[in-house]
Amino acid sequence: MFYREAGQFKTGYAADQAIFPILQDRLFVIAVLAFAFVVVPLTANDYWFQAILTPFLVYALTALGLNILTGYAGQISLGTGGFMAVGAYSFYKLTTGFPEMNLIVAFLIAGCFSAAVGVVFGLPSLRIKGFYLAVATLAAQFFLVWLFNKVGWFYNYNPSGTIDAPPREMFGVLVTGAAAKPAVKYLAALSMLTVFALLTKNLVRSAVGRSWMAIRDMDIAAEIIGIRPLRTKLLAFAISSFVVGIAGAELFALHLGSVETIAFDVTLSFNILFMIIIGGLGSVMGSIMGAAFLVLMPIALTNLLVGGFGMQATSAKHLEFMVLGALIIFFLIVEPHGLARLWQIAKDKLRLWPFPH
Amino acid sequence: MAANGLIPQKKEGGVLLKAEDISLSFGGVKALSNVSFEVHEHQVLAIIGPNGAGKSSMLNCINGFYHPQEGRITYKGVTRKQMKPHDAAAQGIARTFQNIALFKGMNTLDNIMTGRNLKMKRNFLLQALYLGPALKEELEHREFVENIIDFLEIEHIRKTPVGKLPYGLQKRVELGRALAAEPDMLLLDEPMAGMNLEEKQDMCRYILDVNDEFGTTIVLIEHDMGVVMDISDHVVVLDYGRKIADGPPEEVRTNQDVIDAYLGVSHD
Repeated sequence: MFYREAGQFKTGYAADQAIFPILQDRLFVIAVLAFAFVVVPLTANDYWFQAILTPFLVYALTALGLNILTGYAGQISLGTGGFMAVGAYSFYKLTTGFPEMNLIVAFLIAGCFSAAVGVVFGLPSLRIKGFYLAVATLAAQFFLVWLFNKVGWFYNYNPSGTIDAPPREMFGVLVTGAAAKPAVKYLAALSMLTVFALLTKNLVRSAVGRSWMAIRDMDIAAEIIGIRPLRTKLLAFAISSFVVGIAGAELFALHLGSVETIAFDVTLSFNILFMIIIGGLGSVMGSIMGAAFLVLMPIALTNLLVGGFGMQATSAKHLEFMVLGALIIFFLIVEPHGLARLWQIAKDKLRLWPFPH
Repeated sequence: MAANGLIPQKKEGGVLLKAEDISLSFGGVKALSNVSFEVHEHQVLAIIGPNGAGKSSMLNCINGFYHPQEGRITYKGVTRKQMKPHDAAAQGIARTFQNIALFKGMNTLDNIMTGRNLKMKRNFLLQALYLGPALKEELEHREFVENIIDFLEIEHIRKTPVGKLPYGLQKRVELGRALAAEPDMLLLDEPMAGMNLEEKQDMCRYILDVNDEFGTTIVLIEHDMGVVMDISDHVVVLDYGRKIADGPPEEVRTNQDVIDAYLGVSHD
């Protein structure tokens, strides 16, 4: 009843092309951001920051990166874990090799390394499509993880084979490392997700995004319109891997703190792919919702089963897998286009409510 | 269009495209053999022929999607042996497809906006910021696209995903996407297939308007003889990959080879 766009007239194309053309949506997003940036850091405890919020933000950023490639440009990738590893290990080498380096610069350069690797593994995409491309990107996954495991230089010859996030400051506040405050890490992850979500949204509503979707929907027609397939696909690989690489660096520096290559194995790649499928392919909002679903739902289930029903932790874990699987199937049957589409439908219904048409 | 007395006879320009001895085969199958014809500027040229005559293959050769094994294509005075679809698009050749080839996941507006792709020069970093020059460019092209939307009378479906549109409207959106590139030459592969009479009339009107107002040269493939005889200035007839007739509609209509091969009986 309150969600109506009646009376909101647009007099220019710029207003019509705004990300949130409806005033209520804009207010809602501003409220959510204000809550996330101000209220949450003041109220949440360390458990929430470390176990729930920061991983959610990191995975949301990863899903966003993969969604650029798979959801918008239509190239299936199972190399996400590998590209995250490139980001994480580059970030480690940069921050240990150049201790004075600004953290933002370190994150960006780590992203660039990942983008370069992504372009190399994206080259086969000109010739192979669909599932075959997915298999080809698996090569990236296994090769990269093997490489970081095998070559001691990447983990500074640490005998344990792990890399530990060095303590680094930004604006005089400790951001990475074990001693950094969880709230600071949360804010860092939140800022980066906000910035990249905005940049991604801008990209996909511009010419670049349209050429990605054109290649995804009908590559022959796209080519005849004058879109160069190789350049367009490689740009998608580069930008996607850039974002995924930064998310990998975040996973290492802001969330886990200390990682081995096992953290970036193929299970991670699959998880991220599930996030964007459940959340919604080709949707910025869907990436965030999918990450929320796969990160928050298991925790909520565990809390409910162990805390609520007094179950044993191990049996709760098994039950959690079953319930989660069932939920995934349920959501995919109800709406194959993911949670983002479900949200869109709900909003469309709400605009008319309480009238049916 | 031919002779209703009200519309002055339009002037055709020089040769825009010249196909000489085009031969194309797929393995043992000869799709085209020694086909030659000319397209003049500002002309509406129809390519007709029975199914499998090689009409679509001919269009695919013109816009660089197939590479004929023999023969030359001279476009705007430049002779070429091979060409990439991208180059054809850059030189002002746009087309629509027999089976609609729209981008199903996007709405009407975005589909037509992709047609402007070659005209948009800002790099992706500026586009990511959506500020200054990139925003200005986006809005300029939006305005151009809105004119096309206005011309094709599809304002009401501007924001509708194209997959949800009825067939006739999808065809119209596809024409819009081709027009967005401001082509010098427009290739239409069965623009009226599967349409009812009213939709066909609308489509004919758009094609003639494009030809008249923008001076766009049009090469079209069509099976509806009424339409072909009505709107085209020149007709090329293919049969089994060979050209069997080439001339103004009245002439082709009475050509015995054409009647034998295709029309079967006279339409009078």
